[in-house]
Amino acid sequence: MHEYAITESILEIVQTEASQAGAIRVDEVKVVIGELSSFAGSSIEFYFEELSHGTVAEGARLVFEELEANAICCSCGSGFRPRNAFYSCPECGSRLFDLKQGQELYIDSIEVT
Amino acid sequence: MKIEVKKNILARNDTTAAENRERLSRQGVCMINLMASPGAGKTSVIMKAIESLSGDHAMAVIEGDIASEIDSLAIEAMNIPALQINTGGSCHLTASMISSALDYLDLDSLDLVIVENVGNLVCPAEFDLGETGRVMIASITEGHDKPHKYPTIFKEVDAILVNKVDLLPYCDFDMASFRQVVEDLNPDGAIIELSCKDGYGTDEWCHWMKTAISESKTRLSS
Repeated sequence: MHEYAITESILEIVQTEASQAGAIRVDEVKVVIGELSSFAGSSIEFYFEELSHGTVAEGARLVFEELEANAICCSCGSGFRPRNAFYSCPECGSRLFDLKQGQELYIDSIEVT
Repeated sequence: MKIEVKKNILARNDTTAAENRERLSRQGVCMINLMASPGAGKTSVIMKAIESLSGDHAMAVIEGDIASEIDSLAIEAMNIPALQINTGGSCHLTASMISSALDYLDLDSLDLVIVENVGNLVCPAEFDLGETGRVMIASITEGHDKPHKYPTIFKEVDAILVNKVDLLPYCDFDMASFRQVVEDLNPDGAIIELSCKDGYGTDEWCHWMKTAISESKTRLSS
């Protein structure tokens, strides 16, 4: 459900960028989502279709790129890929890690005409 | 034509949240974002805080619910200013909703604003409101496995209130295992056992709040 607010923000950014470029149509929006963020691409797609009606972004293709998580263990310093926020360091078992990548949510680029 | 955008989608919320935080810190006001699942006891916890703190501290409450004014009416009945935000279906409060609510409050004369977020353990953790402190409630009836299932929120709060401890004899809640997991996830988070029913732990909870209020004042004077 929180993807509704996210999709509104996506549309706002896309419309601003498209209008600055003088575009008449947005063909594609590329969104990068970190694998540990709790945002679901399918929900964003659902809301995007509804919210983009009558805007320059109506009918645009949404492309999602998932970014792998990586983290450094706060106890032993080893690097690993946590699969969720509850993950333990595979080397020492600590649950405290510094997430370097994996919670991103940004618009990478758009294709316009 | 391809346009490189590279823009954080949550940027607008984060900017508004930073503005809210700045606004509160200019006035030395402490704002607590209280998060929990539906029925964990958010309103009861706020009412306990009002009973203990309102004599010495000027307080206001911002209530977030999908619908209804039930909670804000209960708070107003205690003579505390209460603003109700109905999110109309949205599962969390956002920084801009809080910004509008702050416009209605006389921040000059307040020490503490408690924001009761929408009952949910997922989305509220993703949206910064500009609060000065984050508190969550986990209640005994929800079970001790919740930190396993919703680790993000347990990681991101400053205090975890374990409410309804009066029900411990009737539930299979393993407090030792709950505490161990929460301490592993969030070693700096305070864990406070509480019962709004019989008042157990209220002193510890209110002491925590008083410290948070005085830290906001200290930040102002420094």
